[in-house]
Amino acid sequence: MMTSLELHDIQAYVMQDYPDMMYSRYIMLRVDHGPSAKQWLNHKVDDIAIATPGGVVDPHQKTFLNIAFTSMGLIALGMHLDNVNAFSREFREGMTAAHRQRLLGDVDGGAPEQWNWGSEQSNAASLHVLLLAFGKNEEICLQYVQELKLDYEQNGLFEIKYIDGRTLENNKEHFGFRDGISQPIILGSGQPGLAETMVQPGEFILGYHNEYNVLPQSPLIQVDQGDQNLLAADAGGSGKKDLGRNGTYLVIRDLEQHVDKFWNYMNNKTQNEDGTINVDESIKLSAKMMGRWPSGAPVTIYPYSDPGIFIDDNNFGYSHQDKEGSKCPFGAHVRRANPRDNFEDLSPKESLKLSRRHRIIRRARLYGEPIIGSPINYTYTGAVGLLFNCFNADISRQFEFIQYAWANVSKIKQLYNDPDPIIGAKELLDAGVEQNFTIQDEPVNRTIKGLERFVTVKGGAYFFFPSISALRYLASIK
Amino acid sequence: MPHQNPITIIVPVRQDKVVELRTVLNQIKQDLLNKKNEDFERIGTIHYARWVIIDDKDEEGNPDHENVKLIFSSNFDGTKEDQIKSLCVEAQNTLDSIYSHCIGYPAINERTIENRYNYLLLRNIPASSFYRGSPNRSLVQILNENKLRDFLRKELDSRSWLAQGPQVVQKALQEAVKATAEFKWAQTPFEMPKVNWPGMILLGILILICFPLIIILILIIQFIYERNDPYFTKTRSELNEKKMLDLETYEDLQYQNQFTQLVVMKAGAVRLFTFKLLMLFSRTLIKFKFVEGKLMGIPTIHFARWVLFDNNKRVLFFSNFDGSWQQYLGDFIDKSGWGLTGIFSNTTNFPKTKFLFFGGAYDEEHFLAWSRDTELQTQVWYNAYPKLSIKNVNNNSRIRSLLFKHLSDKKAQDFLNLL
Repeated sequence: MMTSLELHDIQAYVMQDYPDMMYSRYIMLRVDHGPSAKQWLNHKVDDIAIATPGGVVDPHQKTFLNIAFTSMGLIALGMHLDNVNAFSREFREGMTAAHRQRLLGDVDGGAPEQWNWGSEQSNAASLHVLLLAFGKNEEICLQYVQELKLDYEQNGLFEIKYIDGRTLENNKEHFGFRDGISQPIILGSGQPGLAETMVQPGEFILGYHNEYNVLPQSPLIQVDQGDQNLLAADAGGSGKKDLGRNGTYLVIRDLEQHVDKFWNYMNNKTQNEDGTINVDESIKLSAKMMGRWPSGAPVTIYPYSDPGIFIDDNNFGYSHQDKEGSKCPFGAHVRRANPRDNFEDLSPKESLKLSRRHRIIRRARLYGEPIIGSPINYTYTGAVGLLFNCFNADISRQFEFIQYAWANVSKIKQLYNDPDPIIGAKELLDAGVEQNFTIQDEPVNRTIKGLERFVTVKGGAYFFFPSISALRYLASIK
Repeated sequence: MPHQNPITIIVPVRQDKVVELRTVLNQIKQDLLNKKNEDFERIGTIHYARWVIIDDKDEEGNPDHENVKLIFSSNFDGTKEDQIKSLCVEAQNTLDSIYSHCIGYPAINERTIENRYNYLLLRNIPASSFYRGSPNRSLVQILNENKLRDFLRKELDSRSWLAQGPQVVQKALQEAVKATAEFKWAQTPFEMPKVNWPGMILLGILILICFPLIIILILIIQFIYERNDPYFTKTRSELNEKKMLDLETYEDLQYQNQFTQLVVMKAGAVRLFTFKLLMLFSRTLIKFKFVEGKLMGIPTIHFARWVLFDNNKRVLFFSNFDGSWQQYLGDFIDKSGWGLTGIFSNTTNFPKTKFLFFGGAYDEEHFLAWSRDTELQTQVWYNAYPKLSIKNVNNNSRIRSLLFKHLSDKKAQDFLNLL
């Protein structure tokens, strides 16, 4: 059954990652004066980028704007608590709830107390609204931001922090790998894609059926306020109005990347007998951990060396091509985060079904010095990192599940002590516990010992990413 | 052959002692977390244990604590008599500190090992169905086999095996184990439990023969009962906030978690009959088929159990599992939705089911909310091997069972792949 999506009501960033927008600024705002802020929102809705059929973008468009809210933000806008409580628990509690820290592995240096933003200790109480402004280049973006600023500052909104992000050459992230290649395609979005990557809209957009063929939990209006005529009825037939429809949840994680530590580790583990760097072997080890070469080519298809060209090869599986993990190790980042047709010992069909129930739409922008790391290029000044964004309809079953069950847990397949080497390793270990990376091999598997943590979470929050009509509704709250 | 068994002991709590009992249990919980209470380790046969308080409607304005009960549940090696006896001998102080708050426990100056033993034995309730993720293995064996695996892995890491045949590597590992006195036990053979296919075929034939009756039963349930039964309609957001917080506070402290659930049977003989039939069915499948570490395809459960009690009016479900609640419940929906639906559609306030096996657990959001809503807070939980997944446990046994076998080159490679 093909559902048609109400694209004109969906913010564009869910559907496309603005590949030509090389510069962006994420602006965190506090609502100081609700009524003016709502007035501002009401006229700003017209500037919000909306999805287009097939994700086709006007090539002349130089800037894009999107907007998201925390639960504190909804309260600050005057939303009744009973209506806020209709949102999912994860969103209401936020990323830093004690129990959630354990699941997400946000401990030690990555504990919320150490964060730059999004935690109680930094700015959670005043983080209400997030503006996502994109521009073709730095100059265009910042000029656009200047215009925005003049407007919102006069309308009861106060800027508490911003983070500038870039898109680097060939879409690489700081470790040096091409990023964001494998994405799910929403059925009914009109976007082309492989059959295995097609996923029901309800996994990413509220108000539609998901991969269980039921409606995801969506915030329904419980207490009458605002102009409810702006909202569609609950597709579940409760008779209530659905504030969530055509909206979704946006997860943002500020991931500091220790590029120096990353390449030093790879270099040390693979160095020549005389102690010099073995560039090829160092890259090979890092590719085994990533599951893709720096060019983005999957090690499953190119097991020996990097073909070096950007072909975005995503048409592969593991069950026929690499069941034993001899090409792409079981513990590799991309194999864990998307097990495709080979999850644990399930059949290809069952695996794909299960994988589809734990997909996210990923977006990324890079901050700090624009370094693209390699075995011989890993020095830089200041912090560098990746502003990880993802869209999902059920934060618990999608983002949190992937981060916990597939990245942090060290027991994928028959592994014992192997967390995801890129995003799951711990900084401090309990006594007697090892942290390794295993390369499946013959006659015996090889253990790469003493895995270090190359990524530290430095901020993050869960946001509601409303539909256009929900934005109008929010502005209508008295 | 070592046999793992469950026990469920339900006793009434003294009305005036409920609050004190909670304090005592909370202290034991903290002591276990801080490794200050080693009673269970000392007994040496307990895989998992827990205490749970039920029927304390304290929060709903019943400060009188009437009819409150305390449940002890454990999974152990040996008979239930062995289990109770070792508790009475080795964990006497802990037992006394808890059960002195319960009705009928011997008075302080009259306590003997024997009357404690009789008190507990008399109040045990048999399980309706019981699943083991690692059949035929004692706690000692599970712990030892993990040491063996770590030892073998260290051997492999200690040098390069480049260009060596798998049989050569296997031989080298055998020699290393033989040279280590600690692993003398590993040379005695152990056979992994296998699926009983003749039994499965018999079961299949039996089901085929009874098929018309089963269909009639399903139709009766659908048209006379299910269409009119009230069902669960809440979402996770609508659950009691405090309860959710209480549950989550003690979740994911370790890699393993536990789940205790209490549900009420729907009224009537048809429902009880259907439930008992499904319990018989699950017992048979567990015996014949689910002997390799998976319960209906779910690869993360160490032990699970259904207990019908209270004059067949209520059902308790206990499990010990790997990973998070979301992962566990997701597995249930993905892999055994029909089985759970069949069982729980006979209990009140389950998400809407159709034809006994459909709807229910497949109604994802409502099923998740129902699971949380019927979940109980567990006051004390003990696990003997918190760092091992059930997959690890079985993989360790597989390694041990193959280590000293004569294997072809290909089989020897398969063996090495396990390490």
